[in-house]
Amino acid sequence: MSVALVLYNYELDESCYKVRLALSLLGLQWQAVAVDVFPGKEHLTPPYLALNPSGRLPILRDGDLVLHGTEAILAHLARAHDPSNKWLPIEGADFARVMQWLTFSAHDLGVTLAARQHSLFDTPGEELSLRAASAQAIRIMDDHMTARGFAHADWFAAEHATIADIALFPAFALSRDFGIDHDEYPALRRWARRFRGLPGFKTMPGIPDYH
Amino acid sequence: MTGGDNWHPVGLSHSIEAGSSAGTRLFGQELVVWRDAGGVVHVWEDRCPHRGMKLSFGFVRGDHIACLYHGWQYDRGGYCQYVPAHPDLEVPKTFKVPVYPTREQGGMIWTSLSENPPAWPDDGEPTLRLRSLYLGCRVDAAIAALGGVRLIPFAADGPADATVSRVTDTLFAVSCAQDRLLVGIQAISNARTALHISICGRPERYEGPGQNHFLGWALQLRHAIERSGQASAALEAH
Repeated sequence: MSVALVLYNYELDESCYKVRLALSLLGLQWQAVAVDVFPGKEHLTPPYLALNPSGRLPILRDGDLVLHGTEAILAHLARAHDPSNKWLPIEGADFARVMQWLTFSAHDLGVTLAARQHSLFDTPGEELSLRAASAQAIRIMDDHMTARGFAHADWFAAEHATIADIALFPAFALSRDFGIDHDEYPALRRWARRFRGLPGFKTMPGIPDYH
Repeated sequence: MTGGDNWHPVGLSHSIEAGSSAGTRLFGQELVVWRDAGGVVHVWEDRCPHRGMKLSFGFVRGDHIACLYHGWQYDRGGYCQYVPAHPDLEVPKTFKVPVYPTREQGGMIWTSLSENPPAWPDDGEPTLRLRSLYLGCRVDAAIAALGGVRLIPFAADGPADATVSRVTDTLFAVSCAQDRLLVGIQAISNARTALHISICGRPERYEGPGQNHFLGWALQLRHAIERSGQASAALEAH
């Protein structure tokens, strides 16, 4: 199989990790292009700004299509490369719930990205307020999965894992990077254990191999 | 803050699956709560004697818990049995993690920081999990709030008055008509409290809709405490 999928990737970027997870969980082959984000800021150079004017990774090339925006990339990979249509359900409440949690990931979890980047790379921000807002966002996820548990549902949006789970996993799995332990989120601990058991699951730096 | 000679809840039984671990604190002291593959739960000091790494970051295999740093494995008694870097070493008995008395009752995991906690008969009453609430307030403020949110019975005609009763210093009951919730009180620190909540009764009666019904009460309780000013640090770091 020729490699049509190219991911412009930074190993420590959790949004790139979401795409690496999706590629791996979907069993796809891809080629990674390493981008020197820290300290090189290569993603802010003209060749990368031509691919994504917003100056962010990940960027995916799929044949002639060049795509940026993590959730858009996840949705594209699922629709174009998952014949089972499970990772992105076609319609109905399952589809709607996936979209709701993708939006939550893109919007509400932005603060967790900022908190982690502040911790790791000393980007601007106020540590305590970033942490408090991150804890609030993660608690919304724990509340949701507590209620899902009462219905014997293991996943955020459907009876099975979807790209919503992929989009949400890193913020929780990496939360210790920005000072939030897993102690107070029992429903997310349970969900993360299920997620880690998915065929094709991969870790990244900050997420232990063992659990 | 004292109370180390009592039994204290450190989580709902459901929250610690077989083969998993989690950290918590009791009066500021860091603890690891883990359940071995055989289903037995353990509460230990959350610190590997080797380099001080939290054991709650480690992993459970069979009846051992292993440290994430160097894989030192500890048996159910807290004794180190295996050091991967020195596979032939007969590990000295001094390589030991302090372990605490542990029991499960009322759908909760209980421990005591005392070696001789008070006797506590098991009433054997069936329970079903509700959830744990983690609050940025003192224990007394959390207890005082229990009666402040109206509890509506799950399956009864019309409203009924709810009553809060103290079972022990660390266990309260909130009752309404036929329904009864158990609330275990965990003093995480002098500024942080966990309430571990179970529903008394047979699972067939409350599973699903009943759990959702009382989840609404629990979230209202959390909201009331966080809005009261008792918990100005509600979402503050842990």
